[in-house]
Amino acid sequence: MCRVDEEPEPSGTGGDADMDVAFTTLLEDSIEELYESAPCGYLSTLMDGTIAKINTTLLNLLGLTREAVVGRKRFTDLLTVGGKLYHETHFAPLLRMQGELRGIALEMKTAGGGRLPVLVSSLVKHGSEGEPLLIRTTVFDASDRRAYEEELLRRRQDAEQARAEAERARAEAEEARRQAEADRARLADALAVLQQSLVPTSLPDVPGLETAVYYHTASADRLGGDFYDLFPLDGKRWAFFLGDVCGKGPQAASLTSLTRYTLRAAALHDPEPAAALTTLNAVLHERYAAGGDPRYCTCVFGIVEPATELGHTTVRLASGGHPPALVLRADGRADFLPAPGGLLIGILPTAPIGTAETTLAPGETLLLYTDGLTEARTGPDRGNLYGEDALLAFAADRAPATPQETITALTGLLKSFGDGLDDDTALLALGVPATHPSLPPATNNPR
Amino acid sequence: MSPLNITHRDTATGPVLHVAGELDYAQSTALRRQVEQLPLERGQCLVIDLSGLEFCDSTGITALLVARQHAQAADADIALAAVPPNLMRVLAIVGLDQVFTIRPAADAV
Repeated sequence: MCRVDEEPEPSGTGGDADMDVAFTTLLEDSIEELYESAPCGYLSTLMDGTIAKINTTLLNLLGLTREAVVGRKRFTDLLTVGGKLYHETHFAPLLRMQGELRGIALEMKTAGGGRLPVLVSSLVKHGSEGEPLLIRTTVFDASDRRAYEEELLRRRQDAEQARAEAERARAEAEEARRQAEADRARLADALAVLQQSLVPTSLPDVPGLETAVYYHTASADRLGGDFYDLFPLDGKRWAFFLGDVCGKGPQAASLTSLTRYTLRAAALHDPEPAAALTTLNAVLHERYAAGGDPRYCTCVFGIVEPATELGHTTVRLASGGHPPALVLRADGRADFLPAPGGLLIGILPTAPIGTAETTLAPGETLLLYTDGLTEARTGPDRGNLYGEDALLAFAADRAPATPQETITALTGLLKSFGDGLDDDTALLALGVPATHPSLPPATNNPR
Repeated sequence: MSPLNITHRDTATGPVLHVAGELDYAQSTALRRQVEQLPLERGQCLVIDLSGLEFCDSTGITALLVARQHAQAADADIALAAVPPNLMRVLAIVGLDQVFTIRPAADAV
């Protein structure tokens, strides 16, 4: 340091003096001392490998004495078996060829039987004629570096293992997901089969009649509580029914199944609409209510006899506690067809059944529906019910309409309810075509 | 969804159950249980007061039918009181207005 406002001080005093002392000490440090106590190992060998000179640092690292080494051992004698092999096959040939090698990793053995990882650099000294004279070698203790590398390796192996475990866990999760999906698919298949036992997949063709149907199930498992059917009774008459069982899910499905097949069997036995429902009432009451577990359904059961010539088709209905059927007339009117006095099917040993009858002219359509339609919640806060008055007005707006037109319009209406439609809904429409199709040959249409 | 709240009081003519909230698929079982364990004597009238009822689906109607069966088994009567208009409309459609005695209010005779 130097203060600019003062004369420079004579050298050899103050701070400079300390540095001079350090230099003097260094100069007094003999070259021999530097060689012996250098921070790395040195050794010099003859060209055949015999050790001619070795420094104290290296002797200490290996735990050997100078007397045991100099003139008695070759460099390779200081190496482990692996080190020796590598030296013979790579190190020595390369050194002979290049005259110099740097930073080669080898293992030396210590007097205590241990291994010492080292980094070795060697240089061949040549004489004035270019002939090789001896090999000078430096040896760095690489224990720390080896430990560091082993740690790195261990960390990498740990990371690799963790990755493999994560991969295995992912594969297991994937397998579990696949299994769950397979289970779900199997369950969905089973439910679909079950669902087909509740409602027909398609309606049969009825000569002289048009039909259309729509079925909406609100429950996630698609097991609805609504049901419908249409089937032939004899050559002239067809039976149909539509209803709604209490409850939801599998329990409702088993009730639906019992109801459907009871009605089919009853209709074949006694094709009077009221008789079919009376039989169903007795069966359900005996099966459930009599045992203290009342289950019931509402149902409209009908018999239709299509006109075989241009003319009116007769429909007779019986109802047990079901909302009234709706008729879309050819002149644009829409009317309910009430069958009053009927009761829920299945709660009393004998139940009153309501009946009604009407005729359908060409272009007229009879609609059966379940209360999912009329009980749908509407309005901004879903606080209102859609109701029968709104349904009647909706139908009157569209009359006259074919069964398919009626169902299509109502399907759109149901969609417009969004989440206000929270119940199963079934729709079944039967109608007489406006232009009656020409009759098939009499041979195909026995009377 | 409003929780179902059932309160029970005894009168000279029989027990009165006041049912408030939503009588739906998830909650109807509670009413069924309570009704099935209700002690009833011959000649009493079980009144179910529905003045606080906000919603009733088909399983709620089942619970009312269970109550009716329970009353019949004990030779007792049953009446529904203060039936909300929506439920009254449904009861009329399904014909149950002819099966249950309907009263305007719990204390009306």
